[in-house]
Amino acid sequence: MTPKNLSSRFPAAQYGLIALALAFIGVSLVLPLAAVFVEALSGGIETYFAALTEPDARSAIRLTLLVAAISVPVNVIFGIVAAWSISKFDFPGKSLLVTFIDLPFSVSPVVAGLVYVLLFGAQGLLGPWLREHDIEIIFAVPGIVLATIFITFPFVARELIPLMNEQGRDDEEAALSLGASGFQTFLRVTLPNIRWGLLYGVLLCNARAMGEFGAVSVVSGHLRGLTNTMPLHVEILYNEYNFVAAFAVASLLALLALLTLVLKSIVEWRFGYHHGSARH
Amino acid sequence: MIRLDNISKKFGAYPALDDVSIDVRDGEFLALLGPSGSGKTTLLRIIAGLAFPDQGRVNFNGEDVTGLSVADRKVGFVFQHYALFKHMTVADNVGFGLSVRKRGQRPPKAKIRQRAEELLDLVQLGGLGHRYPAQLSGGQRQRVALARALAVEPQLLLLDEPFGALDAKVRKDLRRWLRKIHEQMGLTTIFVTHDQEEALELADRVVVMDHGVIEQVGTPEDIYMSPGSAFVSDFVGETNRLPVSVVGGRAHFLDRHIDVDANGIGDGHARLDFRPHDVELSTEQAGCLPIVVTDVYRRGGEWRVEGEVSGLDWPVEINVGASVPAPEIGKQLSLRINRGKLFHQSGSQP
Repeated sequence: MTPKNLSSRFPAAQYGLIALALAFIGVSLVLPLAAVFVEALSGGIETYFAALTEPDARSAIRLTLLVAAISVPVNVIFGIVAAWSISKFDFPGKSLLVTFIDLPFSVSPVVAGLVYVLLFGAQGLLGPWLREHDIEIIFAVPGIVLATIFITFPFVARELIPLMNEQGRDDEEAALSLGASGFQTFLRVTLPNIRWGLLYGVLLCNARAMGEFGAVSVVSGHLRGLTNTMPLHVEILYNEYNFVAAFAVASLLALLALLTLVLKSIVEWRFGYHHGSARH
Repeated sequence: MIRLDNISKKFGAYPALDDVSIDVRDGEFLALLGPSGSGKTTLLRIIAGLAFPDQGRVNFNGEDVTGLSVADRKVGFVFQHYALFKHMTVADNVGFGLSVRKRGQRPPKAKIRQRAEELLDLVQLGGLGHRYPAQLSGGQRQRVALARALAVEPQLLLLDEPFGALDAKVRKDLRRWLRKIHEQMGLTTIFVTHDQEEALELADRVVVMDHGVIEQVGTPEDIYMSPGSAFVSDFVGETNRLPVSVVGGRAHFLDRHIDVDANGIGDGHARLDFRPHDVELSTEQAGCLPIVVTDVYRRGGEWRVEGEVSGLDWPVEINVGASVPAPEIGKQLSLRINRGKLFHQSGSQP
């Protein structure tokens, strides 16, 4: 039975289901998003920009950008290396590696943060050694970066593994047989083959890196102007009943989400790229 | 000369190749023929340096290249699904091998482009260099893949199921054309195929493989006319099989004596193989095989007759010249087997 048949037979069901889906999306997604902007602008445009430009907010924005600027490239490199080795080589422990890549998806971000505290914190495993060498990780920027890298670990790799698996090894073998070195093969054959999948993974990775709350919250220490990222700053402002400012900063994160969606759609339409993994 | 000595390769516990040795002559067009899982592609990849044998040596012109990677063997490899670089133009694909050479050995860009154009002319795709692979037909893509492999001036050309992904008509044209290119260039060429017709038509010599071992090596004529094993007889060309018993150099189907050359075949069960065109209709009964016609249809310039043999579970197929009227269905015919081949069977199966 074709879909057309189905809809002409059960018009009530068709419209009912569509209405239900729209209502659900409206109440749970669109309405809250709109509320963010309405609340953010409720004090007027000047108050809005004042909330974004006061020193603590600026510092939070700067830190968020810094964290993303470090963790996204790191995970791009890791993701490519992992996807390459998993899809192009056979080695013992391959399925174990695939499972480990998924770990950050299955572990609660708070637990991820706590693990870093247990490892690098003052009472942690490496705490004394770090103190001796004057290295601060927990309640400092390095901890935030590490936690973010952990959380955003799977995005690029997860996107590339099915893609590279599907593409097989023929193109690479062809390049090698034509005399290309491994690096030339990667740069001139593999990378162009995976570029849209990679871009897709980078977008998702970046969105999560900027928006991560749980893990970062545990390791940050919430030092205003020092270790507050944007999501943490929003929480602090909210807890101080400074709703307008909280929503103003939150609106930036919402804008980032919208921008990611738009870019993602462009990658999907314009380049016919359909991501292979069903999660996110 | 390419020389393979005692090549063995296992995938896990599965022996893909078991003690395979071949000599390939200079300028020869060699086919590796076999069903899937026969090890033919693995053997081709081992020759290329895309796979490595567990045991055995690979020699190119007296030089041991067993440990050399594909890049150092100077071979051109054409993949079954072309493996063209989708994001590059056809000309860039063809020029790829030259453009990745080390500085110093790398020709200038204009020279690479010129070489690519020459090669595209050779494969009859002149003027299509600016296109992308997606804008070409399957046959055209395969020719680009060939031009790309030739660009690095290989000492050996290897093709993996070169026509496997093409439709029948294109396949036939491309086949002739590849043979012509081969004669023009004189390049030693090895190709893998599961299509016996392709192997027999194209190759100077055919290597028939099954289950990781070589069943027979020979000219297409040898392979077709004198199959060296029951497998080859079955796999190459159309064959009728008749279970017979041999006693003292005479073959019997059930209790009937069949007049074929059974010298040198030990007593016991044997399989008598004969081609549809290696029979003639006879008026005699002695030494002949009686069949009842069940179907007749025209096939090219001949009648194809299907007949039933009592005591045999499958039909016998024969060709009859179309200059005579088609035999009627239900009619009894007597077949004289002009040319048959007997294979001794250890078990009781036909």
